[in-house]
Parts: sequence; structure tokens; C-alpha cells
Amino acid sequence: MLQFLFRRLLLAVPVLFGIIFLVFALARLLPGDPCIAALGERATEAICAAFNERYGLNEPIPVQFLAYLGQLASGDLGNSIRQGRPVAEILLERLPVTLELTFFALLFATIVGVTLGRLSAMRRNSPLDVFTMFIANLGVSIPVFVLGLLFAYVFAVGLRGTPFALPPSGLLSAGVPHQHLALAWGLGEVEGFAGSALTFLSNMTILSSLISAQWEPFIDGIRHIILPAVALGTIPMAIIARMTRSSMLDVLGLDYIRTARAKGAPERVVRSRHAFRNALLPVVTVVGLSLGALLSGAVLTESIFLLPGVGRTLFEAITGRDYIVVQALTLVTAVGYVVINLIVDISYAYLDPRIRLR
Amino acid sequence: MTATELTPSLRQQEAAAAASSPLKDTLRSILRQRSAVIGLAILAVLLLTAVFADLIAPYGPAETLFNVEGAQRLSAPCIHALGCPETQPQFLMGLDQNNRDLFSRVVHGSRVSLQVGVVTVSFAIVVGTLIGAVAGYVGGWTDNVLMRMMDVLLAFPALVLAIFLVTAFDTLEVPFLENPLFRAMLAIGIVAIPVYARVMRSSVLSIRERDFVTASRAMGESGAGILLRRILPNALTPLVVQGTLGIATAILEVAALSFLGIGAQEPTPEWGSMIGAVRNQVFSAPHLILFPGGALALSVLAFNLLGDGIRDAMDPRLNR
Amino acid sequence: MRSWRWFSVFAVVVLVLAACGQQAASPSAGEESEPPATGSEAPEPTEGAAFEAMAYPEDGPAECGADNNPSNISEIRAEDERTVVFTLCSPDVAFLAKVAFSSFAIDDSAYLEAHAADGSIVDEPNGTGPYRLDAWNRGSDIVLTANEDYWGDAPLSPTVIFRWSTEAAQRLVELQSGAVDGMDNPGPDDFETIEADSSLALYPREGLNTLYFGFNNNPKVDGFDNEANPFANEQVRQALAMGIDRQRIVDNFFPPGSEVASHFTPCAIPFACEGDEWYEYDPEAAREMLADAGFPDGFETQIHLRDVVRGYLPAPTQVAADLQAQLADLGITATIDVQESTTFLDNSDAGLLTGIHLLGWGADYPDATNFLDYHFGGGASDQFGDKFDDITSALAEGASSVEDADRAAAYEAANNAIREHVPMIPIAHGGSGVAWHADNEGGHSSPLSNENMAVVSPGADDQLVWIQNGEPGGLYCADESDGEALRVCEQIKESLYAYEVAGTEAIPALAEECVPNDELTEWTCTLREGVTFHDGSTLDANDVVLSYAVQWDAEHPLHIGRDGSFTYFGALWGGFLNPPPAE
Repeated sequence: MLQFLFRRLLLAVPVLFGIIFLVFALARLLPGDPCIAALGERATEAICAAFNERYGLNEPIPVQFLAYLGQLASGDLGNSIRQGRPVAEILLERLPVTLELTFFALLFATIVGVTLGRLSAMRRNSPLDVFTMFIANLGVSIPVFVLGLLFAYVFAVGLRGTPFALPPSGLLSAGVPHQHLALAWGLGEVEGFAGSALTFLSNMTILSSLISAQWEPFIDGIRHIILPAVALGTIPMAIIARMTRSSMLDVLGLDYIRTARAKGAPERVVRSRHAFRNALLPVVTVVGLSLGALLSGAVLTESIFLLPGVGRTLFEAITGRDYIVVQALTLVTAVGYVVINLIVDISYAYLDPRIRLR
Repeated sequence: MTATELTPSLRQQEAAAAASSPLKDTLRSILRQRSAVIGLAILAVLLLTAVFADLIAPYGPAETLFNVEGAQRLSAPCIHALGCPETQPQFLMGLDQNNRDLFSRVVHGSRVSLQVGVVTVSFAIVVGTLIGAVAGYVGGWTDNVLMRMMDVLLAFPALVLAIFLVTAFDTLEVPFLENPLFRAMLAIGIVAIPVYARVMRSSVLSIRERDFVTASRAMGESGAGILLRRILPNALTPLVVQGTLGIATAILEVAALSFLGIGAQEPTPEWGSMIGAVRNQVFSAPHLILFPGGALALSVLAFNLLGDGIRDAMDPRLNR
Repeated sequence: MRSWRWFSVFAVVVLVLAACGQQAASPSAGEESEPPATGSEAPEPTEGAAFEAMAYPEDGPAECGADNNPSNISEIRAEDERTVVFTLCSPDVAFLAKVAFSSFAIDDSAYLEAHAADGSIVDEPNGTGPYRLDAWNRGSDIVLTANEDYWGDAPLSPTVIFRWSTEAAQRLVELQSGAVDGMDNPGPDDFETIEADSSLALYPREGLNTLYFGFNNNPKVDGFDNEANPFANEQVRQALAMGIDRQRIVDNFFPPGSEVASHFTPCAIPFACEGDEWYEYDPEAAREMLADAGFPDGFETQIHLRDVVRGYLPAPTQVAADLQAQLADLGITATIDVQESTTFLDNSDAGLLTGIHLLGWGADYPDATNFLDYHFGGGASDQFGDKFDDITSALAEGASSVEDADRAAAYEAANNAIREHVPMIPIAHGGSGVAWHADNEGGHSSPLSNENMAVVSPGADDQLVWIQNGEPGGLYCADESDGEALRVCEQIKESLYAYEVAGTEAIPALAEECVPNDELTEWTCTLREGVTFHDGSTLDANDVVLSYAVQWDAEHPLHIGRDGSFTYFGALWGGFLNPPPAE
């Protein structure tokens, strides 16, 4: 196991370097003089020369790249040009929102997808199976932005006045009080790392109101997250449903299931205990791989449902030509994605020892 | 199993060995797949729509109907057969924000999307197979470097990288890239390259040491010749499967970029940009989202079904 | 082995937090960390202590017209605790309208000294207004609470919440659902919906703005062949002036209350509509003129715009698409070029836009100079290419005349010359609107977009929620130029004068009055007595001097702001003291 882990980590290193280099190189390609971009149109040549000197922009590219690596290693992601504050601070605010959205989307995708897939495998070719597969095929084909807009229309306008109406935007309704964890737990002002960690957690509206027993924002937050999470989770849900179904069908045809049946185990037990559990294995991979699609989808979902997450921030930074933010957020997203895939790989290997031997 | 892991089935080996591939058999087995048939049927409709768009659409895609009596901007569909009074002009899908006939635009949009999908994926396949073939055939250091580069591309969420690329292309003074739609297509094409490179590479690796290849090599055939004549035909099936599914993805992603405003521009009737332009009107004129959105979903569905169908037809494991 | 898995998860979290922890601020929602608290710990007012009157510049009045002072101010001086004297370089009839502008709000001098240097003044404003900042939750909302010690009428709602959404449709749904009380800028297509809903009230906003389609007769693009530039030809510009159906654009893409522009400047502004009205729509004549000008088969061009909604352009891409279609009818092929907002403005100012550009202007202060001189005066940018002598001379005449009759004659000449040369086609004065719930008494709209929350009742609950287009960049409005920021600032901070609620007239605010000398070059302002800032300190004349000085003097150590551009000061007062050397 250790050896496998080591090999996987070793493989990830060049990829991480490649990501950093690609982001660095593309950022140099982006339109606009970095000095003008950072200091504004009124920056004079003399000021720009000093700026370039200070940020090493007149050094050769390899030196600049090393400097950039050093900057990253010290945890410095640069300052936003438009907002005039550190990107790290922006991340602290926006990343939790995306994490929470992704979590709920994945939760929806997994629960609904696995349930549907399992049911349709067990009643193969029944109307339910046909219907489920129809939904699954349609689900992968509907663009997130179409689904999101239609949801917003149906639930905010079509169902207005009914108990099923859901808010089409934002994290919380206006005026719903939501306290910072430090305040809710009566910790007073917390400084440094612990303070950042608390702020990070507090920005996950639903989680933080749950763990600090603030029920009003908790319920309101859940109501707000339903539409974006379902819109975002539909594609992975469809994929998971199909994967569960076909992997269930595979497993049901295997020898040990026949053996179990032959031994006279009741069909229900065979299916739920023997087949289902093993069929879940490939599903784990799909769940992990869906994360890329989820992060892509988050850009669209967050801008449709106006959630202040990383995806929307990234898109706004691009339209606002805030290159430092673009560079930093792309980097963080990509690195996060690699790390998550690493975790999925490792946990998969842990669940299925055969992988390690490959 | 994903297509990248496909090991050629027995039947394919026989087919390859026989050199003359029994196209009929393949087609027949594809047509036995229900999903492939449905996919093909939708695709046929789409193709016909695209080819005969000028005949089907009552108006031009960019034609503003301010001089048509009774044409009310943003109005909902008016279909005479469904009870819309004959006194009003018929608009099957209503009118859009610029007083254009939405039906005509959606019909013409099929042209754009089909072209976008096919061109983008063709680009990705050509570049991807080249990289994959070289990596697999040459091996060693080259293989390592090329495939790590592919890993880097795959490490980004597709849309995030594509957005970044489109922005970066802004600076390149290439005449071809002046059209934002082409910028978007190139970005999506680049993002898709690694998939084909991986498919090609694994095909090459699995065949390289096979007897008939060794035999050709012994007979003095050049490396390029072997790649072209012996290995490529064998990699065709997974490439076709992946390519068909890839067209669906490409259409979807280019539409997403257009939706965000960094793809097709007015007055191009691209479905994604049509939706993006009216996202503000969703609560007052939902038909402007529904119809292009439906067309988009339908064409993506067609390619997905077809791709799945071909894969199932080629994978004997599922023939039960 | 199990611990390895958790280690990786832990490692990621630590990495992210470490990056964040580097610079991120500690919790800001906590009441303890809130800076401008009204209470006993605030600095004691310096009662009885001798008042040391400040003057700026400290070493005597700045020389007018000198290289280091292109601005129209010579000196700002505190006479005593409650008197400030502004000495100007040349007469300014618009002085009161300018000092009422929210970028020139007064800060406490001690607070400014303590919080300008580290930039914290951007997030933590300390004003004298009816509301003080309670919390700014970036990305979601800004919460204000009533200032119990406000010198004027007590604000009606104990709490005001600002929210934002760029999508008009989203704002409307929030309003309809009851989550917000008032919304800015309903979409043009939603006006009818709101008027039909008895629980809502629509307040149209008069359009003190202009949308125009601009041409450049000599772009400053390297290697550009101006011989082939159709817009260098006056006949082509005149042809387009009568070949574009402006009524169709206003009818279809503007909300009710908008009107087709008869002149560049909206007619509500004095002297704006002297001279002939714009051309009648006549596509036939336009086609003939194009043929005469040597373009019988039209030509190819571009339509430049930014996809930013403004009162003068409520549907940018739709208007662009319609212009594209109208040009096609004249035989002109145009592609649409959407540019990023700042880039677009910079390109326009630098004269780099070779096609037709869609741009507009909203009134900063209601005077003809604010519209005409900025665009067509001798000092205007290269936006429209080479200038026209008859326009610039007429405008110079108008700006320096004091008599009404002289001004009217000058603006008649200027408007007619603009009509003849067509540097641009004025399209529309865009009306916009504000919608409130019917039970929010005092709901209103302001022609200057500075709705005053203090006079609106909260309705059923005890909070007033307002949803606007965007989030402020910062709340130190000396260095903000976005109306979304200014509106928030106006609830918190005050200037010497203010604009009347729902109107444009400047009325006394922190000053009881400002009185000019006969030449209109020296204005003496008497401050209101007993006004306190949110942090408890008392307003005095030095606060006024310093608040202006840090904006005026580009070399002042506190001339920092958010990005340091102080756009409105430069634009309204003619420039800065000690400006940075030109490039």
C-alpha cells in the first residue's frame, strides 16, 4: 500500500508542476500590461519601471517562474486588481460556498443516481427501467444552464404562492441572521490560523448554522441550495445511475452470485447484500471523476443562481480582466482537482486491493 | 469500463487479421442497438434540418420582423393549428428579443451546432491521435513527456481551462481567431485532445507487439507506414466511439462558452448564445430558453445515444 | 494505512487554510471588531480646546494655471471652527451642485488620518449620515443600522440592507416574493408586470442621460488608412444620421418614460435644446446619400460596445443587434465587437475605435457643460477624432458667458454645428425606474440615482431591503465612480450640500449655506452646528479642509483611496494639485 501511495504521489508531482507552469505561461499571454493592469491607466513609465523592477517583471522568464514558485510556496496568491485585496482573502470567502454547493450536488447525484440505477437493474426491462434510462440519457444531455434557468422559472415563478416555491438566487434571504461561528460559539475575536479556519467554516452557511444550532439560516440555506444543487447534480446523477445499473447487471451475472443463489439465499438478500455492495465499487470512481464536471458546472450554476462562489468569481474576474484572480483561481481549482483525484485513487485502491498490484 | 480501457475484442482481432473489414456486420450489430437507432434517427432529422434549413425556416435567421403586421417582440408561440387566431401571423416558437422568428433561428442553429461539434472533434482527434500514436510507438522518454502533458490538460476542469484559453487567445493576432466562435472551438478542441491521445496510445501499445505488426516490421515497412496501415485501423473503433460522444461534449461546451458570452456572437443563431442573450428574460419569456435549450439537449442526446450504441455493439460482453 | 487517507484530506485543508490565513482578515461580522462604534470609547470632542484653523495648501494659495495646478481650486481655508472658504481660479456657476456630489463627502480628520493610509477606510466608513455601517458581507449584502444621533429627521427604518444582482429578472423575482422592499432598474420588459401588480409601485426615473452611436473621423490606430475610412466622410455620417430608425430602438429596447433624443443633451437641462432638432428618419434619402458619398454598395464595419447595463442603455446587446440589422438594410455589413468595460472606455478615449461605438453619458450634475464640453469641447478626448472648430468655439463661448441670452445663443450655434458634422448620432434619453412595495411609504426614484433610504418606511417588518445592480467596490466614495457604490455611501456619509430627495436641486446638508462673492470665485460655507460622526467626534471646518485636500493634492500622503484614481474630483474640479507627470 505504501509503495502504491508513493508511486501515485510521485506521478502527481510533474503534473502539478505542469499545471503551475501552464497557468503561469497563459497568464503571461493574457492581454494587457501587468503594470497598467495593477496600477491603473495613470501609471507613468517611471512608475511602471519601478513596478516591473519590484515584481521582477524585467527578469528573464525562467527567473520569473522561479520567483512565482517561491511566491506560491509562501502561500501568497497575489492581490486582486479590481478588488484591491489579497486573493487568499477572496478564496476564504468564496471557496466554502463552492464546496458546499458541490457537496450538495454530489449528495443529490449519489443518492438519487444509486437508487435509480439499483432499482432499474433489479427490474430490468420493466417500465421503470426504461423510464430511468430515459431520464438518465436525457440528464446527461441537458446543459446545466438550460436546466438551471428552467428550474428558476418553474420554482420561482410557476410555483409562486405554493409551498413548493423555492428562491431562485442567493445563499440566504435578506435579513435572515447568520452569525460568524466565533460569535455563535462566544469565542470572541479569534486571530491567525484558527480565525481563518473559523471564517472558512462560517462561510459554509448551511454547515456552520447546523453546527452552531442556528436553525433559521439553516432551513433558509437549505431552501436556497436545492435548485442549484439539483441543476448542478443532474449530469453526475445520470452518469451514476447508468453506472450503477450496468455494474449491478455485471455483478449479478458473476459466479459468486450464482453460488449464493444456489446455496438458497433469498433473492432479496443476494441482491442487496452480495450484489449491490460490490457493484458500488466502480460507482466510487465515477463519483470522483464527476468532480471535474461539477467544477465546470459550478461556473455556470453560480452565475445563474448568483451564488458568491469560486466559479462565479472566476468568470467575473475574466470579464473584468482581473488576471491575478484568474491565475490564482484557475491554479487552485486545478490543484484541488488533482488532489481530489489522488484521494479517489487511493481510497479506491484501499477498497479494492487488486488495483495496487496492477 | 471506459473506452480508454477497451481491449480489442476477439472479433476485432479477426477483423483486423482479415484486413478487409466486414463493414456490413458492424453496421448490422450497431443497428441491433436500440439506443443507436434512436440516436441515428434524431441525428438524421437534425442533419436534414441543417441541410434544408433555408427551406424549412419561414424567415432568415437574422431577419427582424418589425415590418410584419402583428409581430410582437418577445411574444409567445402562435400556432394556428393549436387555436391561435388566424388574424395573427403564425410563429411556431414565438419571437425573440430582437423581433426575429425563433423557429427560424433554432432551425438554422442546427447548422452551427453540427458544424461546431464535428469540426472541433475532428481537430481534437487529428492532433490527439498523432500525439497518442507517437507516444505509444516511440515510447520511452517521449511517451512520458507527451503523456504527462496530456495529464496536465486533463487536470483542469474542462470549462475552466477553456475559459482561460479563450481569454488568452484574445491577444493572438491570428486572423482566423478574430471570430470569437472559432476561439471557443479551438479552446474546446484543445481541452479534448488528451482523451484521444490516451485512446490512441493504449491501442498502439496493445497492438505494437502483436504478430502481424512484428511481421510487417520484419518485412521492412516504415514506422509511419505501420502506424497508418496496421495500427490506425485497429484503433478506429474506440476512436469512433469516443469521437461520437466527444461531439456531444463539444456541442455542449461550446454552447456553454457562448452562453457566457465568449463564443458565438450576434447574429449567429448559435443555441447557447441565444439562451445567454435572453437569460434576463427567463421569467417573462421562458420560451426563448425552452426551445433552443430543447434543441441543444436533443442534439447532444442524439450523439450520446449513438456513441453508447456503437460502443455496446462493439463490446461483446454486453451481448447477452 | 487508514491514517494515510485522512492525512491527504487533512493536508489539502491545511494547504488552503494556510494560503488563506496568510493575509486574510479575522472575523468581521463580530460586533467587537466593528470600528465606528458609537459610544464612550470614542475620542472626546475637543471642546474648549483652541481650534487651530487649517488652510490648504499650507504654504499659501496654489497658483492657478501653473503646471502643478491644472485644477480650478486655488485654496481651501478654515476661517474658524464652522467656516470654510473655497477660493476658485475661475467662476463656477455649478459650485453648489458640485459640492453636493457624494464623492466629496466629509470625513472626520482624525479618522481620515488613522484609516486612509492602511486602506481600512474603504471597508469601514465613518460618516455623519442617517445610517452607519453594521456589516459588509462581501458577495452577499451590506447591512446598515440607524444613526440614533442623526442631526436631521430620524431615519424611518431601523435597519437597511443592500443587496445586488446584475440580472433584472432576478431582482424582480426577489421583489415579487417579498424578500426585498425596493429594487433598482426593472428590465424594460418588466415595467408592465410591475404596473399590473397592485402590491407594487413603479417610480419611473427621468432620463438625465443620452445614448449615442459615435464615429471616429480619424482613428489614432497605427497604420490606419483614413482615406478608406467611411466615417471620415461627413456625407456618410449624415446619411447614417437619417438612416437609423431611432424611434424603433426606443420603442423596442427602452422602458416607458424614455424618449428619442432631439439633441445631445436632455432637454430638462437648461440651454440643452437650443437649435434645430435631429434629422427625421428617411432611409431612402440615406441610401441616396451613401451612394453620392461613393458607397452605393455600403461597406464593412464594426459595432463596438460593452455589455454593461446603464440607464441610457438598458439592453446593450439587443440594441447592438438591432443596429446591425438596420445597417444591413442600408447595405452596411457590421460585426459586433463586445469589449470589456474598462478596455472599451479606454479605447474610446484614446480614439482607437474604428467602427461605430455605442456609448452614453449620465449627468453628474445638471449643466450643459457636463454633457457638451466633455464630449465635443476643445479639451475633449480623441473619441470622435479630429475636432470641429465651429463646435469648440461655440462651446467655449457658452461656458464663459454669464448672461442667459448669450449662453442660449452659444448653445444654439453649438447644437446646430453638431447636427451638421454628426460626430455621433444621439439616440435616446433612457428612462429607468425603481419599484417599491406599495406599503413602503416614501418610496421614490431619483433622477441622479441616489435614492434616499432614510425617508422610506420599512413596511410590515422593521427592515428595509433594497436590491440594486451591483456590489460596491468600496465605501470610500471619494475614490469610487460607480453609482452602485455612491448610493450606499450616500446613506452613511454627507457632503456640504445634498441633492433634494427625488430631485436635482442642491440643498444645504452639512453646510447651513455656502455664499459666493460677486465674481463667483470665492465661496464661504458655514457649517451646521453640533453634527457628530458615527464614532462620536464632532464636525469642524478642518474636517472639510482635509477631506478635500487628500483628494485634491495628488502628492498628499493620504491621497491613497482604493485604486487612487479619485475620478470625480479630477473630472469635476478640472484636475489635481501636483498631478503625476504626464506620460
